[in-house]
Amino acid sequence: MQLLNKSEEKEEGQKLDSNSKLTMEEFAKISRERADSYHRYHIEALETRDYQALPNRFIVKVGKIGLAKLIISETFTYWGKWDVVFSRPCTYGVFSGPVGGFSPRPEKCVGCLRCTVQHPDFVTVEHNPKRKAMGDNYLNSKIISTIDEEARKGTVPVRGQGYRGRFGGPGWDGMFTDMSEIVRPSRDGIHGRELISTIVDIGSKPLSLKFDNDGNLISEGPRMFTIQVPFIYDAPPNEIISNKLAKIWKKSAENVDTLAILPSEIVLANNLASPSVVPIIPLNSLDCAKSFKSGTRMVELDGWDSKSYDRVVSDCPDIIVGVRLEFAQGWQQKLDEMMLSNVPVIHFVADNHGIGDGGRFIMDLLLEAHQKLLDAGFRDKVTLLNTGVIVAADHLPKAIICGLDAVGLNQPLLIAMQARLNGDLSSNDYGAKFPRKYTEDWAIQRIVNLTCSWRDQMLEILGAMGVREVRRLRGEIGRAMWCSHLEDEAFSDIDGYVGGGK
Amino acid sequence: MAMSKEPKKPSIDLINKTTHLMHDGMDAIAFGEFEIPPALGDARWTDELILSTWHMAATGKVPENLNYKTGDSNGGFDKLEFKYISEKDWIKNSDEIETGIPLNRRGDERAKLNPPIPIYGGGMSYGSVSVNVMMARAMNAKKWNTYMSTGEGGYPEELYQCKDHVITQVATGYFGVEERSIQAAPIVEFKYAQGAKPGLGGHLLASKAGEEVAKMRGSVPFVSLFSPFPFHSTYSVEDHSKHIDWIQTVNPNALISVKVSTPHDVDMVAVGSYYAGAHIIHLDGGFGGTGAAPEIAKKNIAMPIELAIPKVHKFLIKEGIRDKVTLIASGGIRTGDDIAKAIALGADGVVLGTSDLVAMGCTRCSNCEGGPSGRGCPWGLTTTDIELQEWIQQEWAIKRLDNYYTAIQWRIRDILSKLGLDDVKKLVGRTDLLKYLGGGN
Repeated sequence: MQLLNKSEEKEEGQKLDSNSKLTMEEFAKISRERADSYHRYHIEALETRDYQALPNRFIVKVGKIGLAKLIISETFTYWGKWDVVFSRPCTYGVFSGPVGGFSPRPEKCVGCLRCTVQHPDFVTVEHNPKRKAMGDNYLNSKIISTIDEEARKGTVPVRGQGYRGRFGGPGWDGMFTDMSEIVRPSRDGIHGRELISTIVDIGSKPLSLKFDNDGNLISEGPRMFTIQVPFIYDAPPNEIISNKLAKIWKKSAENVDTLAILPSEIVLANNLASPSVVPIIPLNSLDCAKSFKSGTRMVELDGWDSKSYDRVVSDCPDIIVGVRLEFAQGWQQKLDEMMLSNVPVIHFVADNHGIGDGGRFIMDLLLEAHQKLLDAGFRDKVTLLNTGVIVAADHLPKAIICGLDAVGLNQPLLIAMQARLNGDLSSNDYGAKFPRKYTEDWAIQRIVNLTCSWRDQMLEILGAMGVREVRRLRGEIGRAMWCSHLEDEAFSDIDGYVGGGK
Repeated sequence: MAMSKEPKKPSIDLINKTTHLMHDGMDAIAFGEFEIPPALGDARWTDELILSTWHMAATGKVPENLNYKTGDSNGGFDKLEFKYISEKDWIKNSDEIETGIPLNRRGDERAKLNPPIPIYGGGMSYGSVSVNVMMARAMNAKKWNTYMSTGEGGYPEELYQCKDHVITQVATGYFGVEERSIQAAPIVEFKYAQGAKPGLGGHLLASKAGEEVAKMRGSVPFVSLFSPFPFHSTYSVEDHSKHIDWIQTVNPNALISVKVSTPHDVDMVAVGSYYAGAHIIHLDGGFGGTGAAPEIAKKNIAMPIELAIPKVHKFLIKEGIRDKVTLIASGGIRTGDDIAKAIALGADGVVLGTSDLVAMGCTRCSNCEGGPSGRGCPWGLTTTDIELQEWIQQEWAIKRLDNYYTAIQWRIRDILSKLGLDDVKKLVGRTDLLKYLGGGN
């Protein structure tokens, strides 16, 4: 469009089509329309109540006799000064019920311990063993509690005081992300006034383009699409998945513009095919892939077999065909074969505790896979995903730094829905007890809230690093610091230090 | 935030009753008259560390039956131990061991500040804590002839009575920064970053930004305050140098401290800060305290102070400027032992924050940001709630801090004595006096 001045406007003197010069009035109108249609991506979080609240954090025990004595004593001592007599050693309402401390409300206790310090003779506050027993040693009660809060509020958990845990530690805890002291995007980016992108490309990009003498593209262009967040919703284990759960996965994915990966038979049975749904094609049921031609952007082959892959590609020429691959012995060879076959999306599936081939933690395996693709000059031609082992917001940027484009989530989504998991949580041999009578809308909002919270936490980390988009974080190991390396540097001249976390 | 009733200033009787119960309870538990509360403590601040701090704050002495030296984090300071010399060679009159440090090593015309302990108080803003807490820390600093920082929340009028011991902080939001408070300060501290939330700026939630706090900060009451990050006027060392020029023009006698967090290139940042004119490089490690920070930022961004100190110390030596600048460490320093270890790793001194609060009763429940009540700390520490802030009475709090610093100084001297050193300055960078405890991480 080109803008006319007033005199030119008069000369033209008539309504112009879209290819003609515009009057100021028309320009303003079009600009207004475009402004009105503007949409900046964001996730609508809404505080969403508990259906099946976690066990209380603390148990509050009050000795009835001690309390009665105190009340009698204070009533006499402060007779008439009722503000003093009725004051309670809790600002959170633990003793605010009709009979006060005779029937405390432990669900309100935050563990400040003022009551037990003021009255150590008859008030005790203990950690609730039921709360502590949730989950296992990886998906532990602290992580479950955090996910629960994130899914309820949809916000970034903010607390006072400093860090309370171990120095470094195993797995992701042994990795720190870096920050940029001075030269970095403003914190305004985190609050939406400047853009920090969390968009991820799913698919394959050619390393170069070819044109004929007339400038026409003669090579294949990118075969990819984008999603708005660097996480996808992966199918829960077969023991757990249901039609209702599949619909929740799908609608949640549509809500935040990401992908829900679901078994093909459930997708077909419930007519769930959609651009946001990625059906998993079993190797023994390749024909079902043909059913997903309309609207589906991607399918995943459940394991690597080159002939099966070629056949699905042939049956679904307009769909991106990815491959799920376990981080088990022999994965490197399969990765080589997949590169030869130009597989555009490789989706690793790890043990839920992150232990893979040779007992190595997923961090090492991801770094190796990423490096292998780099060495082969193949990295931009493939999207790397991984499911399992990502159960906290801080794992996400760390996994991306190790080479992933995006991560797959399933256990955290179940926790967001307040499911109580049981069985072996490290494998997929576990069950889940969901809240009774929960609704789809409730579950979707809980998942959306969790996604919003994790995305916002991702923005905090990206903001601190001075990285404006998550795609640039992929494989950026220069943006990470490993505790063991730093310890080697700091302590190597100290007697007794041997390194390697020993 | 829902509240059952509007808080109001408590009566004298209520203050007396509440504080009496709190203080008696703290002492009784710290002295072992009751069992240790089962829900107290965490890996960094164990139950025994908290109670030993209460014990020291009550008596001025280290406890006999509590571990007052280390936490249970299984790394960093908790894995380091001193290699003491034979007992017969210990320095006998340990009260004569020198614990003072000079803060101005540039050799310029500015103030020659020499606190008698290698410690000063870290920034806690008005808003994150009450005036009572600020005043207690400032009065204690005055008593010890050391310093405490305002944090980024302005300079309450009451503080001027301790102005020679109050560091004025200039942080990225410039909240409450005034010419008068800069001119009053012996040290002006630029806060580039904070260890608990590196790269994220300050954060005061709406419920704590009440009218008095907002007035001090020039903001709208009950609106959350986010300091930007970084300084919007600083994108290079040259810009940073202009900042320092500005302060030095306003107050030609003040020392300049530059507080930074601990990224990978913290050594380069330290050198840049020195050449821009800083007298003090203040490193704030990733385990530092905060009134409010995203949980993801704590520990996951930047490195712990134990790993940053030797990195910076060695680099400053390499650059030939180590003796021209004072290196101060903070962020997770809890005990006298931590202080001595930080110095042995290469710091000249340390800044304390959380341990001051623990001395005044903090149980590290992490509800400083407001908590479910929206009112802040139930102990009256990190709050400006009209009722809760009264639980900290200045006279009591000053005495607690004084006692605590007495015990800390004793412990530093105790360590120096057992190392055969008569001056804390001789401990700087002596990693040969440390040993690392094995056992796996």
